[in-house]
Amino acid sequence: MSEAVAGRRAGAAASESDDEGDDAAEADVEPTVRDPMHPFETERWVGVAGAALVLIAVGVLTRQPGPVLAGAVGVGYGLYARFGDAPVATLTVERTVSDDTPEPGAEVTVTVRVEHVGDGRIGDVRLIDGVPPGLEVIDGPARLATALEPDASATMRYVVRAARGEHRWEAMRAITRSPAGSMERETRLEHDTRIVCTPELSAGSDLPLRGLTTQYHGSVSTDIGGSGVEFFATREYRRGDPLRRVDWNRRARTGELATLELREERAATVVLLIDAREPAYVAAEPSGATAVERSVEAAGQAFSALLAGGDRVGIATLGSPDCWLPPGAGTSHAVRGRTVLAADPALAPTPSDEPFHPSPWFRRFRRRLPADAQVLLFSPLVDRYPRTIARRIDAYGHLVTVLSPDVTTRSTPGERLVAYERRERIRTLRRAGIRVTEWGDRSFPAAVAGATRRWSR
Amino acid sequence: MVAVRADRSGRNTGATERTRDDRPPLFAMIIGLVAGAVAFLATLIAAPIGGAVVGLGVFALVAGSVLGVQRLLTWAAGLGVFGLALAGYAGAAPEPLLVAAVALALAWDITDHGLSLGAHVGRDGETRRSVLVHAGMNVAVGAGSVAVVYGTYAVATGGQPVAALTLLLFGAVVLISVFR
Repeated sequence: MSEAVAGRRAGAAASESDDEGDDAAEADVEPTVRDPMHPFETERWVGVAGAALVLIAVGVLTRQPGPVLAGAVGVGYGLYARFGDAPVATLTVERTVSDDTPEPGAEVTVTVRVEHVGDGRIGDVRLIDGVPPGLEVIDGPARLATALEPDASATMRYVVRAARGEHRWEAMRAITRSPAGSMERETRLEHDTRIVCTPELSAGSDLPLRGLTTQYHGSVSTDIGGSGVEFFATREYRRGDPLRRVDWNRRARTGELATLELREERAATVVLLIDAREPAYVAAEPSGATAVERSVEAAGQAFSALLAGGDRVGIATLGSPDCWLPPGAGTSHAVRGRTVLAADPALAPTPSDEPFHPSPWFRRFRRRLPADAQVLLFSPLVDRYPRTIARRIDAYGHLVTVLSPDVTTRSTPGERLVAYERRERIRTLRRAGIRVTEWGDRSFPAAVAGATRRWSR
Repeated sequence: MVAVRADRSGRNTGATERTRDDRPPLFAMIIGLVAGAVAFLATLIAAPIGGAVVGLGVFALVAGSVLGVQRLLTWAAGLGVFGLALAGYAGAAPEPLLVAAVALALAWDITDHGLSLGAHVGRDGETRRSVLVHAGMNVAVGAGSVAVVYGTYAVATGGQPVAALTLLLFGAVVLISVFR
């Protein structure tokens, strides 16, 4: 049923009047794909013939001309109701956005111009633009009702507030009605428009994440001897050992050559695991940021802070579309991380439709996770699964730190129960030796600073 | 705590819809009210008892429009037709009754149209052109019907009984049924 019209006028008569320049300009326009549905009866005028007959009958019985004539007018309306069909909305859609790579929170003006390219007038058309679910319309409804002559056009303008992620416009719904409104038909008009909103990762130098990973600057001490600054052990000299590390005191005392082993320091490998399952899409209030949104924001701060500290950082999501950025370092890795956090479909502003299967996900995550990696798990902890996952990762020998945005509220008993359950989960995790930091109204860096002080004691 | 979900049907829900004012456009409500007032006055002049019932119908029409209840509009239209019939029974002259019939049809049609516009577009959207075109079509159809009906009546009243006119109209009703 779909037909593509490549921005050209469909009517033969109309195309004759077009000049070349107009055609060339319209050739650049994205084609509009139209998908008309079947018309259906709105049953608006049901009973009008009956009402007319009642009036006529009253007139006949009382021998009065008035009701008969009024009834006859009703018959006229009855004919009008049968007249015409709901036309297919033969429209082309041209949607332009004021900025297709806006900053988060920026206002983007969307201008939608529809042009009637078919023939025959459309007396009643209502246009409902397919605003992406993640964007909020802040000025003017993205809707319009009008009547269009052939070749006529209509324009609507509205403003959306940009939110992190890649947003693609859905099909515009065009609802047409017959002149009397007794038939209605919906036509879907696809026009590809999208905006990509990538937040700047804030420089995380003020984020005291050291405490989350290790107490040493930029590195994790290991139980492996080698080069470093801290004494670890001595061993027999082997050919090729650097002279700097020969234990000359021992040579002077006993005459034996021995080599100092120093504690080897390695950069930490950290994987930021963000809970993006459907239960994590919760917010404290309808217009508030979801836990996923806040987790992503915090993960962005952690990402740049850890990278700046010389650690290798990777990103993974706990959710259905697979998302995995292997741990890495360097400028290009920072850019990749920023892109993943901004626009990966797994971290979209609204939950995905794909079902989430925990067991295959965990097997895949375990396979990918480097043996020495630590995990920072970002989760609102509003259900049981993140707690289980944290303990399982911990059981496999990875250091797990849970960072939990608090989205619970306490105004109704149900809400207080959810908040209590969440507190219980945090308590269980802490009892199991897993570090948990939560942040509600406080900023994430402030919460981390507080937690670091506590842990360093 | 609120769960945020994308609507599977592809419709936009959430913040986009929450702030939308889905009451009928004021312009449609005003036209409906004016037409209703005309219907009320015309019937009142013709026969006060019928006028009272039509006035009740117009009140129900406005109430249905304000409350957004379509069923109320249907009842209002039924009440209006009953008022017209009552006025006719009370011996109203044909001319004001015809004006009342067209005005009543316009009032109901534009109010109902406004209600559907409210559901699809909302009060803040641009709907004026749609309302005007719809009202214009309705008035044109009403005026055309009146012209044909009243013309026929004026020509045929030379002693013809009402029954002859009725038979003529019966033919028109059969015509509608054929269209169906």
